[in-house]
Parts: sequence; structure tokens; C-alpha cells
Amino acid sequence: MDAKKIREDFPVLQQKIKGKQLIYFDNACMSLRPKQVIAAMNEYYEQYPACAGRSIHTLSQKVDEEYRKAREVVAKFIGAKPEEIIFTRNTTEGINLVAHSLELKEGDAVVTSDIEHNSNLLPWQMLFKRGVEHRIVFSKDMQFDEGNFRNAMGDSVKLVSFVHTSNLSGYTFPAEKIAKIAHDNGSLVMFDCAQSVPHKQIDVHKLGADFIAFSGHKMLGPSGMGVLYGKKDLLEELNPFLLGGDTVANSTYETHELLKPPEKFEAGLQNYAGAIGLAAAVKYLEKVGMNDIEKHEEKLNEIITYGIAGINGLKIIGPQPAKLRGGIISFNIEGLNPHDIAMMLDSTAGIAIRSGAHCVHSWFNANNMPRGSARASLYLYNTEEEAKIFIGKLREICNTLR
Amino acid sequence: MVICIIALVVFSIMGIFSAHWRELAKEAFDCTFRTLTFRPCRTNLQDRIKMKVTSKLAGRFPSLARAFYKHFKIFSWIFVIIFFGSMIYTAYTVYNLVVYGTCDPSSSTCTIKQTAQLLGCELETLFIYITIAVLSILLVYLVYKYLKIK
Repeated sequence: MDAKKIREDFPVLQQKIKGKQLIYFDNACMSLRPKQVIAAMNEYYEQYPACAGRSIHTLSQKVDEEYRKAREVVAKFIGAKPEEIIFTRNTTEGINLVAHSLELKEGDAVVTSDIEHNSNLLPWQMLFKRGVEHRIVFSKDMQFDEGNFRNAMGDSVKLVSFVHTSNLSGYTFPAEKIAKIAHDNGSLVMFDCAQSVPHKQIDVHKLGADFIAFSGHKMLGPSGMGVLYGKKDLLEELNPFLLGGDTVANSTYETHELLKPPEKFEAGLQNYAGAIGLAAAVKYLEKVGMNDIEKHEEKLNEIITYGIAGINGLKIIGPQPAKLRGGIISFNIEGLNPHDIAMMLDSTAGIAIRSGAHCVHSWFNANNMPRGSARASLYLYNTEEEAKIFIGKLREICNTLR
Repeated sequence: MVICIIALVVFSIMGIFSAHWRELAKEAFDCTFRTLTFRPCRTNLQDRIKMKVTSKLAGRFPSLARAFYKHFKIFSWIFVIIFFGSMIYTAYTVYNLVVYGTCDPSSSTCTIKQTAQLLGCELETLFIYITIAVLSILLVYLVYKYLKIK
């Protein structure tokens, strides 16, 4: 994998920000897009900007075909069937769809980890009003604790909804083990794969997941485009929580006949350009190779982890070995506000990182860290040179401000 | 944070020319209002100001950047005191000019008066010229912006 060659496909990396070469380390929030994705979406808008599944004219048929192909491409990417892929706006919508469609009732319980993104926390907190219990499995040294997990299980647990790779620490939970224990307990399993699908080879069958949700904007695709995978038989049983155009085969003044999945979950006119763009992103990632991307990120993470280890007062959040944190380095430096670190990196070196709670406020509040942390997150177009510049600049900032 | 008071005045003036500064002026107003009512600011405007200045200083004067970063509150108070000091002094100067026709009645040195004399006009005429010039520039700018938007 040649990161330098890959960079040529990303127009934003060719420009300078405030006179400095952009170093983009905020990929866990939003990835950049290659020109292939932009071109695919432009092609839709310029050549066949019609709607799918309704009209029968040539343009509409073309959209139908491209939309169907996009679903097939995404399905193949995660080892699923096309009818198991529901296009959503993002991971959040996917999780909310499951939360609302499962029709959990009083006395049921949902189990999550203690390091969930708000997307996989708030929907379950809302269900609490309906009498649905929310159990949290606390990690040990920020890693999965099987004992705690087994203790949380029980007959009332209808769903285990875990983050797969944490956007805070980069730690990947052992999905297969979690799914096995949950299934043995008779519970369904959902994984928030927003940070795993873009960075490693994922096969839904190997994971053992009943549902997974992920977003396009974190995997070189367009924003406003996400995916919910659900096992076919489960999707057939579920009721959609959004109803409207293109979800029904027929309707009268009193009744309606729902279409089969995935159509019954995709109400209203869809984000066709988004789906086509996402498919282009998937093709791009496949061409580079997911295993190579994973290794590349791990290598960069090792360089950075080793490079910043000597900074006095620096603490990495999550498991200490870089290999366990994928492409994410979340850290705090004693005496420095993470926002200040991020602002200094941006204004003095054009390095874009994120600071704050990373939508995992619950964990930071529980750990008495109201300011959150600084977070550098890597992707396929980042290089070793960038990693070294980051290390150097971070050291410089620490020397200047402390 | 007291620095928001200066920010409010500066951004309000700059807000005449750009919506970007108007947004910042609104933030500064909110922060000033909360500071004056003894409540913490809801925005991080002061942090952004702090880091903007620190990062500018960091490249050339690292020691000064460190001092500014570490003692931002003290620097803020110094700036505010200087700001209000110069405001009061300006008001005093304008008062002297209007009442006595010179910036400083106790001495003969008054740059504004000397400038007026140099231009061969009365002090009042110079004020009128300056006001007209400022208003003209503002008018030209606003017309330019209006045409650009159109």
C-alpha cells in the first residue's frame, strides 16, 4: 500500500490550510473523500438525477440499477445479502431504527458497554421511560471484561448492543465472544461498527451479529449516508419506525401492505447520490485492501505512541499497546487543556485533531474528566512523515506552553 | 471573562464590515453580559482568543507565548485596564478639544490642533473632514458589499 500515491486521489490534501500543508488526523469523526467518490456522485447529479423505484422512464431505470448495484457492493463488502442492507442517514439512525422497531417492553433489558457513543446510549435511555432496563457492562483496564458481561446477562436481556471499535480509545471489543455469550442467553446482538467497518475487514457472519450499523462519512463516503445490516429473518419480523413512500406495495384508506425488507425500512425518497457515492467508496477501499489499511494504521499508531511516550504527563486513554488501539490515539497531557492542544496544533502546524468528549460524555463524566481528551485518528492516506511531524509539534507545544 | 468586554467593542466595530465579526460580537456580548452578572461564559470565546494569540506568539516568542498562556487572566485584566484607561483619556481629550480647543490645556502640544493648523483649517473643520471621510469610506464599502451580494 502506497499512502503517498493514495493521497493524489484526495483533492483536499493537495491544498494548503492557512498556508500550511494539511495533516488530517480527525478521521474518526469524518474521513476525506477521493475524487472517485466525488465523481460518482457528480455523475448521478449531472447525468441521471431521477428517483428510483417509482417512475419507469430511462433515467429512473438507470437510478434503479445504480441504487441496486450500490446495495450489492455494500452487502458484499461486509459479507451480507443485498436484502439485508438498509440504507440510513448514519449509524445513529441505524441504531435508532432497531431501538424503535424491536418493540421492547417493560421488563426487557438492553446491555451496552461503558464506553458507548451517545448514539448507542441515548436510544436505550429513552426506552427506560417505557420500562426497559439499561444495563452497563464496565470494562477492566478499558478492555472487555467477560465476567462483568456474563453477570449482566439474564433472561430479561433481549438485546446486547455494543460498540465494536471504540471511537474514544480505538479498542476493538471481541465481537465473536460477545455474540456467542449473548446468543447462548437468547439475546439479539447489535454492534455499532462506525469505527470498525472503515478500518478493517468485517464479515457479519464471523462477527455473529444480528444487526450492525455504520456510516459512510467515516469510510471515504458521503455524509448523510449510513447502513444498517440486519439478518433477513429478523428484518422481516421487524416493523419499520418510519413509514411512507416506497415502503408499501399497496394501501387503502384503512390499511396498507408493506414491501419486503429492505424497502419497507426506506421510507421516502432516498439519498441516491449518497448510496452511489458510498458504493464508490467501498470499491476504493476494496481496491486498496482492508487488511493493508488496518496494518498501515497500526504501524502509524505505533510510531506515534512510541514518539509521544516520552512527553512528560502524557496519558493515553485505552489499552497502552498501540496494536490494540487501531488508528486512534486519545490522550491527555497534564496541565494542558485538550482544546488548547488541538487549537495549537491547528494554528501552528495545520494539524487537524479532535478535542473534547468525542460524544462519549458518559465515560468522561464517570471518570471525572469534564474536558475530555485530545484525539488523533488515522486513515489510509496518512503517512509516516505526518506522524513524525505530529510528534515533533506536540513536543514543541508542550515545551512552549508548560 | 473580562477579555470579552474588549472583544465586544472591537468585534462590534468590525461587525459593521462583515457578518463573521457580527457573530463573534454576539458571542462577546453574551459573554460580557454573563461576566457582568457574575456567571461563567457559555462560549469558549476567551479560550479561542487566548489560543489565537498564543499560537501567533509561539512561533517567534515562545517564552512570551508561555507567559501569555499561563497568565492569561492577568494579561486580560491588564488589557482591560489599558483599554478603559485609553477610553477615559480619549474622552478627556475630546472634551478638552470641544471646550478649550486643545487636547491638553496645561501644555501647548496638541497633535490634532497642530495637524489642523498644518492643513490651514479650523479644528471644527478638521473634525468635519474626518467624519465625512470615514462615512464616505463606510458608504463605499457598504455599496460595494450590496452590489457584490446582488
